[in-house]
Amino acid sequence: MSDSANPVSIELKDIVQEYPHKDGTGVLRVVDGISLSLQPGINMLLGPSGCGKSTILHMMGGVRPIGVQTPTSGTVLIDGKACVEAHDDAVMVFQRYANRPDLSVEENVAFPFRLKHWRARVSAAEARQRIEETLAAVGLSAHRKHLPSQLSGGQNQRVALARALVLRPRILLMDEPFGALDAQTRAEMQQLLVQIYEHNPCLVVFVTHDVTEALTLGDRVIVLSTQPAKIADDFAILEPRPRSVTWQRSTEAVRMEERILAQLHAASTGRASLRVSV
Amino acid sequence: MSELTTWNPYAPLSAQTTRTLGIAAVAAVLLLWAVISATGLVSPNKLPAPWQVAKAFGYLAWDGENGRSLLLNATLWSVGRVLAAGALVVAIGIPIGVLMGASPRLNAALSPLIDPFRSAPVVALLPIMVMWFGIGEWMKVLFLFVGAVVYLIPMVRDAVRAVPQAYWISARDLGATPLEAVRHAVLPLAMPRIADAVIVAVSVMWTYITVAEYVNAREGLGQLIQNARRFSAMDQVFAGIIVIIAFALLSYQLMRYVKSRMYPWETKL
Repeated sequence: MSDSANPVSIELKDIVQEYPHKDGTGVLRVVDGISLSLQPGINMLLGPSGCGKSTILHMMGGVRPIGVQTPTSGTVLIDGKACVEAHDDAVMVFQRYANRPDLSVEENVAFPFRLKHWRARVSAAEARQRIEETLAAVGLSAHRKHLPSQLSGGQNQRVALARALVLRPRILLMDEPFGALDAQTRAEMQQLLVQIYEHNPCLVVFVTHDVTEALTLGDRVIVLSTQPAKIADDFAILEPRPRSVTWQRSTEAVRMEERILAQLHAASTGRASLRVSV
Repeated sequence: MSELTTWNPYAPLSAQTTRTLGIAAVAAVLLLWAVISATGLVSPNKLPAPWQVAKAFGYLAWDGENGRSLLLNATLWSVGRVLAAGALVVAIGIPIGVLMGASPRLNAALSPLIDPFRSAPVVALLPIMVMWFGIGEWMKVLFLFVGAVVYLIPMVRDAVRAVPQAYWISARDLGATPLEAVRHAVLPLAMPRIADAVIVAVSVMWTYITVAEYVNAREGLGQLIQNARRFSAMDQVFAGIIVIIAFALLSYQLMRYVKSRMYPWETKL
């Protein structure tokens, strides 16, 4: 499939997110007027921990976990349509894989097809075929009967990734998916993601606080400042993947790294939670 | 015991050592009991000797004169009551607990009606139960039910709420309705702790069985003890108590075993 087979866009317009303070005296602004337009490709959302990256990602997925209006103001458009609830176009992958411990690898990957929504849209035969393909794509065919507790962290993340891919989403939202893995496994998973992406290009939004990861994977890197999050920097990386170690040590890559670190540093010096009285 | 294992809560203890220490402690108490009885320090009317209890146990197990087993009969009645009440507790308590766990609104409404009874003296409810339900079999089963269900419901609710939100969010993102997310993502993960709640509920019922059978019981272990006490047959009282403890332990171990087979994936915290 080529890029044009999966045309999809995400548009954020003046997104503001505020949470009421626990003591009820005001609100905490975590996202401060972000406007952003995303196209197919691997889009890295980089920022310090707790800067509101996940909040933005949740908005794109239409997931509303907390009883707060999300976003407080502004709109999220998927293909020009307002996104107000969980939708078929996007699937999220979390750092905590959320695999069911009582189900085998295969059953976990097949999990979405237990839901009415997908049973009505995907036939059993088609589901069967997709599960086979996806298990093979993430390299878990040999482990299909294993329980999550019998797998390593990397393998568990492969299960979570497979559960998302089995739905053939046009948008993949990844919330620090490899953050809890050791360096070796992380590198393997990054390779796998690139492989899967090259095979089936879609719109990936990948949240991370790892600068190297951003430079290894991204077509585009968006750097966010800390609370409240604003866009501090936004640039493209044209170097084709897989990116060699030689490239990563090149002047170009080192400059990008310094540029990102300078932004993150500037962002973290002014670190204070902004309080707005209401 | 070595320095390393004495005040170290995390020290591994072999099954062998655990068993040896347990048996030694029980043996020590039995020995102390036997010594006290043998020296005649305490009157047998207050503390019957172990051998007297063993003899009473033999008599209760098989009464040759009348060709019957008082113990078997009493045990079957008590087990039957616990099973009947247990079925009610599971059939009514688990759904209520799950609903409360899944809906903060329902929980806010129902918990003030249920939670206080955990610390209320349920035994004091007995006269009320007698007034409402008479002195028949219904009253006994319902008493056991009320006594156990007030423990079970909050435990089931907490089991549901203890499941990390990530599972619910992930299922919702995949297209689950809120109810589907509860049913397919939250509930399966809460099952081991719900099983724990059932185990506690059954254990609670074993502690209440004597009380339930105090009133107008013609059969049952509680009645057996009550009857023996009336005739000052302390040896039989002791034998009856030991049987109840044995059954409570047996059912506890059995349920633990069944649970471990049903939910082998449960992570140890």
